[in-house]
Amino acid sequence: MTAISTEVLLAGGYAALLILIARGLDLLARHTHGQTERFRTGGFRYDPDHDHWTCPEDQLLRPYGYDHRRRLIRYRAPAAACTACPVRALCTDSAEGREITRPVDPWPHSEAGRFHRGIALTLVVLATVIVLGELLRNHHLGELIMLGALLAGCLTTGRRLTDHLHATPGGFPAPARYQGLPPTPETDDRPDDYD
Amino acid sequence: MTAPPSADAVPHGRLLISKAWVQVAVLVVLFGFLVLGVLAYLVYRDEPPVPRQVVGDRGQVLFTGDDITSGQQVFLRSGLMQYGSIFGHGAYLGPDFTADYLHRAATIARSNEPGGDAALIADFQANRYDPATRTLRFSGPQTTAYLANERHYADFFGDPTTAKGLLPHAITDPAEIHQLTSYFAWSAWAAAAHRPGADHSYTNSWPPEPLVGNRPTADNIVWSVLSLIALLGGIGALFGVYGRYGDRLGWRGRQADTLSFRQPGEVALTPGQRVTAPFFFVVAALFVAQSLLGGASEHYRADLGSFFGLDLARLLPYNLTRTWHLQMALFWVAAAFLAAGIFLAPIIARREPRGQDRLSMILLGALIVVVAGSLLGEFFSIRGMVPASARFIGANQYEYLDLARLWQILLTAGMGLWAFILWRGLRGRLRGEHRGNLPWMFFWAALAIPVIYAIGLLSRTTDTFTTADFWRFWVVHLWVEDFLELFTTVMVAYIFVLLGVIREKVALIVVYFDIVLYSVGGVIGTMHHLYFSGAPAQHMALGAFFSAAEVIPLTFLTVEAWAFLQLGARQEAASPTPFPHRWAVMFLVAVGFWNFLGAGVFGFLINLPIVSYYEIGTGLTANHAHGSMMGVYGMLAIAMALFCLRYMIPPRLWPDRLAKISFWSLNIGLAWMCFATLLPVGILQLYHSVSTGYWHARSLKYLTNPTNSLIEWLRLPGDAVFIIGGALPFLYIAWLGLRHAAKARPATPGETEDRLFTEITGPVDR
Repeated sequence: MTAISTEVLLAGGYAALLILIARGLDLLARHTHGQTERFRTGGFRYDPDHDHWTCPEDQLLRPYGYDHRRRLIRYRAPAAACTACPVRALCTDSAEGREITRPVDPWPHSEAGRFHRGIALTLVVLATVIVLGELLRNHHLGELIMLGALLAGCLTTGRRLTDHLHATPGGFPAPARYQGLPPTPETDDRPDDYD
Repeated sequence: MTAPPSADAVPHGRLLISKAWVQVAVLVVLFGFLVLGVLAYLVYRDEPPVPRQVVGDRGQVLFTGDDITSGQQVFLRSGLMQYGSIFGHGAYLGPDFTADYLHRAATIARSNEPGGDAALIADFQANRYDPATRTLRFSGPQTTAYLANERHYADFFGDPTTAKGLLPHAITDPAEIHQLTSYFAWSAWAAAAHRPGADHSYTNSWPPEPLVGNRPTADNIVWSVLSLIALLGGIGALFGVYGRYGDRLGWRGRQADTLSFRQPGEVALTPGQRVTAPFFFVVAALFVAQSLLGGASEHYRADLGSFFGLDLARLLPYNLTRTWHLQMALFWVAAAFLAAGIFLAPIIARREPRGQDRLSMILLGALIVVVAGSLLGEFFSIRGMVPASARFIGANQYEYLDLARLWQILLTAGMGLWAFILWRGLRGRLRGEHRGNLPWMFFWAALAIPVIYAIGLLSRTTDTFTTADFWRFWVVHLWVEDFLELFTTVMVAYIFVLLGVIREKVALIVVYFDIVLYSVGGVIGTMHHLYFSGAPAQHMALGAFFSAAEVIPLTFLTVEAWAFLQLGARQEAASPTPFPHRWAVMFLVAVGFWNFLGAGVFGFLINLPIVSYYEIGTGLTANHAHGSMMGVYGMLAIAMALFCLRYMIPPRLWPDRLAKISFWSLNIGLAWMCFATLLPVGILQLYHSVSTGYWHARSLKYLTNPTNSLIEWLRLPGDAVFIIGGALPFLYIAWLGLRHAAKARPATPGETEDRLFTEITGPVDR
């Protein structure tokens, strides 16, 4: 086994750093995405077991509709409870009860999610280019092992960052009925001009 | 069912949020500027003196104070601050002339110093300036070194080729070489000679140079550690407080209204709004030119000798491409902000007085004159065709403030005219509105832009570098990083209100929160640029501490803003009409991301005095500059442009795919630039600076070594994607806007619609 050259150590170290940064950015982006969701749902608690929300005044919001285009499930509190609620003015004007939504597709199935994944993937592609370049230039056993391990790291991270694409070939899944819920009445199915 | 147009358009005589927000914001800003005032006084009191004359060991006059001042003029008008640097400030291809002179002088003196290294250190650290006679005396070895360095710089700048990235025979006049060497010698003296009564030099013993005993001072290390502790403690405390009281900030989710977005084509445009189309075309054209010049500047680092077989430096030497690259960056971003302000004003005010379009066209004309005039001035100045007597219309050539004084004054006046246009447009809306509410905040933030920029006029080429640099950073830091940021926040918050993403009260809280958090650290934090340019140690202490404090809100606020800016991208309300601003809000999402990475993380990487000591003027600064200037302001300017252009281009012609390609190309290209080249080159250079020496890490020999060249070449794919896939499609979209804006549905001056949506569920109490 031969010593690993400084060049391979530095380039390999930087590739490893890029993989770590890509993963870190992805985690942070996921966190900020959660934060964005909390801006909308602050004070409300979601119960995944029973698929309902509980508002700060302890009223339940149950699913009532599914928005095809935005792939959201809409939940609503009983209108009577909201009408009698002391903090209604801070919460909703709707006569039909407070509504809250939950996206069907988890992170990163959103426009912003795809952007952050795209940036993270760019870093992984760069790391792969660096590792492949070093593999072309250096062929000692130790170097091959180290670069091989890094290449595996690149591929694993790349695969992980594209898993949302694997799960939904061709991009987003086609709109489908969700849990038998009817489409939200207000939503028409006119296609967006940009889709 | 549809509600009356808007409750937002009705003036509010009362403040929408608690008065405490306003009081805290005013106090914090006043405190910051009070401290800056004291620091301004200290800079004038404690700057390194410019001697009347400098004499050699036998009493012969080596050079005079006039030579030093004239040397600074030669340095600036030859564009050398956009080639190398002085006191660490300037461009990064050429050497740092302070460090370069000091190292050469010490090396030469060493061979003439019989007392060994200790005597050499004592010789350079001794302060032989006599304030009574204003005479500085050089020792024998220093005198020899000065004369040798004069010959060296004559060779360096007289190079008949373009091998250094400068024009052939860039400076050959012996008098100018003498003045230039005197200027470098003075800066090197200030960098090594101890301040009276202190154990460090005028520059806090920067640059690192073991030969003359320059190493990090106690202040440098202590304030680095203290600011790091303040940073960690502050972040913990802020997140703790936010976790406990965050709900009170007003984020708490209120049900989104059901909105019907008014579609492009349905939104009538006022004459004032329509004339923003040529603004955006100019913006896009400048952006394309700026990115091409960036590519050329980058090429000098990858292959200094030739541009794919062409001797580019004969026409566009490095110092010119970089000058234009930086100037245009400020111009196109600022122009986009001006245009967006003009576009938004009638939407906010619900009316537009007659003549706004004519005033806006005058503003555009003035802007084009300033851009063309300043760029030409710089071109001729670098070619030595502008005499010293004509510098008022030639060029200033302080990095970032490169434009001549005439153009600086005109630009300030232009931005003043812009603030007047906004005031004129908003007047009806401002009347009766509380001065702390969003319409007034929009106007105040706009007014601050010409006011703070005007302070840059205090930075004159004939002043001592230390004081000139102090005022220069009021523009580079305070204007760009704080006041453009403030205007940005107000504008984005307002656009979100206009798009129904958030309510006005929440927007107002965001704005005040931003003012308080940025001002706590940002105003005094300006001093983090002045650790080593001759300002006293207080500037380093306060600059380090407060700019670390600046990182606390920056980290916090950028993570928050990162999430906040994603709000626009998540359209959940059941709107019967599609959301028209898909790519504008995606650019805002990118702003959030780059604000965190480029401004926050990359900025903090180089913020501590101990890091800056070895790092200033190296690749990591360029990394931060690209990530923050393009990542934040560039993306924001494009977001604004797309937002406005969307209403000017008929919906059937809107090139959504091109907007998408531009978005992805700009972001991938920028990420590639930073991570493929700027970051690794910067890290290697920092390592080399600590291990081998700062002067060497800044030398052409080091920068053009094969490793660095290879890494610089790695940037090519990113640059190509950025320019071809990112900048050019944006130019085409702006061209479509220019072609079709005149045909957009006209709104007559007077009443116009207010918001860009209508609520289905009706107005609510805010």
